Amino acid sequence: MAETEEEEKFPFDINPMYEGERVRKAGMYVELGGQGKPGYELVLFEPDPEQIKDGEVDLIGPDLEDMEEGGNYAYAMIYRVYGEQIEKDLEAVIERRNHEYQSYIQGYMHLNQRAEIWVRISKEAVKKGLKSLKQIGKATIMLFKAELPFIEKMDATFITDEEEVKKGLEEANRIYEARDVKTRGLHDEDVDEFYQCTLCQSFAPTNVCVVSPDRIALCGAMSWFDSRAAARIDPEGPNAPIPKGDCIDPIGGEYTGVNEAAVRLSSGEYDSIKLHSFLEKPHTSCGCFEVAGFYIPEVEGIGWVHRGSKVTDTPIGLPFSTIAGSVGGGKQVKGFLGIGVQYFYSPKFIQYDGGWRRVVWMASDLKARVAEAIPAEMKDKIATEKEVKTIEELREFLQRVDHPVVKGVIREVDGERITEGWAVEAEAVAAPAEVEEEVPSEAQVPLASVPLVASGANTPVRIILKDADISIGKIIVKRKEGK
Amino acid sequence: MEKKITLEDIARILDRYDVVELEDVKIKGDVELELSTGVAIPPSVVQALQSMMGMQKEGISVVSEEKGIEELELIPTKFEVAKTEWNGQIEEVTIGATSADGGTREATVTIGGEKALPFYNFDHQTPHPPVISVDCFDMPISLAKAVREHYEDVMEDPGEWAKKNVREFGADMVTIHLISTDPTIKDTPAREAAKTVEEVLQAVKVPIVIGGSGNPDKDPEVLEAAAEAAEGERCLIASANLNMDYERIAKAALEHGHVILSWTQLDINAQKTLNRYLFKLGVPREDIVIDPTTAALGYGLDYAFTNIERMRISALKGDTDLAFPISCGITNAWGAREAWMKDSPIKEDSDWGPSVYRGPLYEIMTGLTLGIAGGDMFMMMHPKAAGAVKRVTQMLFGAKEAEDEGKKVRIEDWVTWK
Amino acid sequence: MKLNSPMEVWKYLPGTNCKECGEKTCLAFASLLMERKKKLEECPPLFEPKYAEKGKKLAELLAPEVREVEIGIGERARKMGGEDVMHRHERTFFNRTVLVYDVWDTMKEEELRERVRKITEWKKFYVGEFLKVDAIAIRSVSGEAKTFAQCVKRVAEETDFPLVLCSFNAKVIEEGLKEVSNRRPLIYAADKENWKEFLGIAKRFKVPVTLFSPDLDMLNSLAVTFSSAGIEDIVLDPGTYPEGGGLEQTFSRFVRIRRAGIADGNKGIAYPLIAVPMTAWMVHGSKAENALAASYWEAIIADLFIIKYADIMILHSIEPHSLIPVRTLVANIYTDPRRPVSVEPGLREIGNPTERSPLFVTTNFALTYYTVESDISSNKIDSYLMVVDSEGIGVESAVAGGQLNAESFKDALESFKAADKVKHKTMVIPGLAARLSGETEDVTGWTVLVGPRDSGRIPDWMDKNWPPETGSKTMAR
Repeated sequence: MAETEEEEKFPFDINPMYEGERVRKAGMYVELGGQGKPGYELVLFEPDPEQIKDGEVDLIGPDLEDMEEGGNYAYAMIYRVYGEQIEKDLEAVIERRNHEYQSYIQGYMHLNQRAEIWVRISKEAVKKGLKSLKQIGKATIMLFKAELPFIEKMDATFITDEEEVKKGLEEANRIYEARDVKTRGLHDEDVDEFYQCTLCQSFAPTNVCVVSPDRIALCGAMSWFDSRAAARIDPEGPNAPIPKGDCIDPIGGEYTGVNEAAVRLSSGEYDSIKLHSFLEKPHTSCGCFEVAGFYIPEVEGIGWVHRGSKVTDTPIGLPFSTIAGSVGGGKQVKGFLGIGVQYFYSPKFIQYDGGWRRVVWMASDLKARVAEAIPAEMKDKIATEKEVKTIEELREFLQRVDHPVVKGVIREVDGERITEGWAVEAEAVAAPAEVEEEVPSEAQVPLASVPLVASGANTPVRIILKDADISIGKIIVKRKEGK
Repeated sequence: MEKKITLEDIARILDRYDVVELEDVKIKGDVELELSTGVAIPPSVVQALQSMMGMQKEGISVVSEEKGIEELELIPTKFEVAKTEWNGQIEEVTIGATSADGGTREATVTIGGEKALPFYNFDHQTPHPPVISVDCFDMPISLAKAVREHYEDVMEDPGEWAKKNVREFGADMVTIHLISTDPTIKDTPAREAAKTVEEVLQAVKVPIVIGGSGNPDKDPEVLEAAAEAAEGERCLIASANLNMDYERIAKAALEHGHVILSWTQLDINAQKTLNRYLFKLGVPREDIVIDPTTAALGYGLDYAFTNIERMRISALKGDTDLAFPISCGITNAWGAREAWMKDSPIKEDSDWGPSVYRGPLYEIMTGLTLGIAGGDMFMMMHPKAAGAVKRVTQMLFGAKEAEDEGKKVRIEDWVTWK
Repeated sequence: MKLNSPMEVWKYLPGTNCKECGEKTCLAFASLLMERKKKLEECPPLFEPKYAEKGKKLAELLAPEVREVEIGIGERARKMGGEDVMHRHERTFFNRTVLVYDVWDTMKEEELRERVRKITEWKKFYVGEFLKVDAIAIRSVSGEAKTFAQCVKRVAEETDFPLVLCSFNAKVIEEGLKEVSNRRPLIYAADKENWKEFLGIAKRFKVPVTLFSPDLDMLNSLAVTFSSAGIEDIVLDPGTYPEGGGLEQTFSRFVRIRRAGIADGNKGIAYPLIAVPMTAWMVHGSKAENALAASYWEAIIADLFIIKYADIMILHSIEPHSLIPVRTLVANIYTDPRRPVSVEPGLREIGNPTERSPLFVTTNFALTYYTVESDISSNKIDSYLMVVDSEGIGVESAVAGGQLNAESFKDALESFKAADKVKHKTMVIPGLAARLSGETEDVTGWTVLVGPRDSGRIPDWMDKNWPPETGSKTMAR
């Protein structure tokens, strides 16, 4: 992105350094959308390239020169894109970038997304020569095409006529809703490939994130759609498709393709991953995960705490930072798991180990944040630091609310009982039978040669006890199995 | 009363059980160990024997312990260790072209080709010793005193500078840094830079590295011009980087038959990505050298070291995206203030001593450390530092020419050395 | 160590959450055991008969692949060995190379004391603390037991550092040991001639002992023999040849011994290794004019074995130019690569700033800080550099991960009283943190300028953007 090129074409500077720029009321020329007026932004995939007038921007309604200084107007931005690699599912991913790219424009502030957009244009920008929203549109299209080379053609329609915006808003909201429904309705079974992300391998050499529709990346940044787009934008980059292969375990989420990738990308550090398991063959973590899960063996349940939580005292006595230290580094560490916050909402959330029925504790701020994801019957059965401070208190609490772990967890997905519950724990290993023998003193006991296997040669070592008095107080034995 | 039981009886009884523990065992008397000679005794056996002996402690007096030691024999063993075989191999890259290949260099330099970790000759002989390319610049630059004194007389003339590097300091290669082309320095036009390159090629007959100024806007055209001017000489073009139009640079290298330096900043994933981009452009594998960035001793050397170690191990495990020889900008060591600052800015520090002694050693140790990690080529400045790194890496490589002074010394005599 | 997760450790613990170890739960204790932040001894129940079996097994499983040996006592005690991995990025190296500097028994008393003091007192500030060296070796040059003992006594009076007593003559060592028997010195060294006497001394005085042989079969035999006689505090010297083919072979021996111990699991040779870069001096000679070359070569050998597995090394040159880079390299190689190295947050002055000088802002990730500081100072820009606490994470990651945000800047400005230093209430944030500019202005009330993405472009940036005009170019008003 050569700076000089843009300065020639546009009266404003375009540079990532303006990303955080704020336009304040005093310096504002106009406000578009925001709290006072309707607004939305939309990217639509147009399958017929002939329909798109590449690089062109239409405007319906007043332009900047017609607007009153200090005024607030409705605002809609509708982009149409075409590219061989683009499909309808990528609309949302591309659309999210409108915010990023428009922020690069000096004197133009863009906040929020979808129907929440809030835009301000500065007086400075107008003074410098910004006359028309079409210029903004053209610059935006240029940025999109430069950053996302798979966009072959793109045009835009900007609307500032309030009635038109209101009409379009209904349709836009329907589109957003449909997308959300589709995202929620897309599952691991529905797609042929997952995506890998090795971005964090700089910090955790053997970490490989497998991003699937039911499992978002643990940093929270990449959904399956995001990864799909990223893989198309930059096939040489850290995201690439992983063909699923055959499904070895539908409940745990284990696939031959994923296992092959695991071996390859972790340099053989591990060879299988169950995407939706906590205890067995868990997904690895680098250090970027949003939430850390830890197993509490005393109650056979799982606790969760997130990065930045105000709660530092977990029932096991370790704060997030120490747990994070155990989990990170890209190794499969039994009993700990790093995940992204969105994974709580996944229908397959650790289903192999019982999903929500296995969750016994959460940091209160985390629990509040994902309240919607918690099934109604579990909401009051999950303790927080407000109810319990120690393992003992946790045990009491869980018994009182009759949490599934007490009697044994039955997996919702297939009805299988996966833990025995607490009552059975008392049955310990059979005590060894004690046999007392006494070897009297003063017995001369020649010891037969005891052959010991040596590495390489099979040479016996003889231990000879000369004039030895041996007395053995007790020999404790255990009956051999099967005899 | 007391029943006499033989050990055979006990053994039979015990056969039915797993012995969990022997409590309160007392053995009084002598224990003799009879071992066949020339046998490797696994440590687990030794430990078992040792614990048995341990059980005897109570019955043994100090006197008999000494006697015991006197009678001890050295347990003969053989030291064995497994060899490591790797799946992958590093590409072998040749820089420079002689008249046979359309160039005018008197010799070429080949690096890479490893099948094992650096200097692990017992796994697999390191095929090529590391090479040193000594820096020169197309304009006088400010240098630490320890370095400047060697170059003061040639700073105005890149050709003379290059000559001195080869003639007096034994450089295997020379790097010409075209820093004056930076628009914020002198903004020298590309065609002038190309002339400088020609000058250097005339002045010395070793393979050369051509470096831009690092300015992302100017480097592509400078390196294009330089690549053209040096056509046929198979130089190393420094460098392609994700922050600039690397396509132009790579294409120029490709078009004029040069080797390209793939440069990233301490980021193993970026390195893989950039290399893959180069593959896509059609750059052949034997035309790629990696520069993962060098951080000075004390200022990030551990990152640079681990980055290179990981890259090298990954490559040997079979990751072909990273299986290339590695070049290190060791001159960066002079960025450490301990290398050039007169005194410590911290009052409580012990005296730093003369800076002229510190700098070269900082450069040496930065270079050697990265050489152990996997560096095949070092770009250096101080002649003594370059010489020292060359000497020690030659020895580690196993060069027959390296002196064997060390062997003639009875090393245990260090204890009584005066 | 043979365990991979705190859960595996937990299985061997009592599981009663009795809190005697100071942790709330056994799982917490297990986590800390794995990180070597707690010792097994801190769980008293593990040593009771009920759990003793488990405790023993756990001790075995937790034990590092290479034996850990300690020398010295009290605060100055130093641990050697205790390593589990061949490459630091596989986990971390645990015990940094112990640096030992020599004195010898033919020195005049005043000279001796002075040298000991110099070694003991040397320090260098680095990343928030003062680095020091670790121990002193006393060499028997005279060959006389009494002379040696007197020297040892004097050294012991002058320093609290751990000591290494060096002689191949057991009687000399014994005399010396009598002076410092309660300071847990390392004795150097047993070889194929004198091993029996050294074995006896090691047993009687209960001190760690070095075994020397460049012949690995012999070295292995010595180790196995000593171990079977009940001595486990062993240090191995495979012989440090300073040059040529000898150096190549030395390198090979160090790597292969360590590989045998860690990768092959051969306990018989899994002991700390000692290197003696000092042998470089024997090749270069003791004349004054060769001293610089000798010290350089010694540092070169030290470099090799700091990286390749020397747990302790003996050096001669105590000149600053030797001490600084060698000790710094140890600090670098032996940091835990899993934790980003960070510097102390604060407000630094570069050059001679005034109240109108620019205020640059950066994170406390060491690498970032050094780079930025260097770019500014080498271009002689008088300015303030405010180092913000981003938990040791670099700019780009910290912005993405939230460790660097508008509040971070606010807190820093207030804690470091930046407003007292500069009158213009303008700060320059890193280009990679551009996203935070507006919010930071809102939260702090300062003007925020967005600097270049690469601190190397700061001089360039300064030309175009400093001093700011009222109604600065980059912020719309």
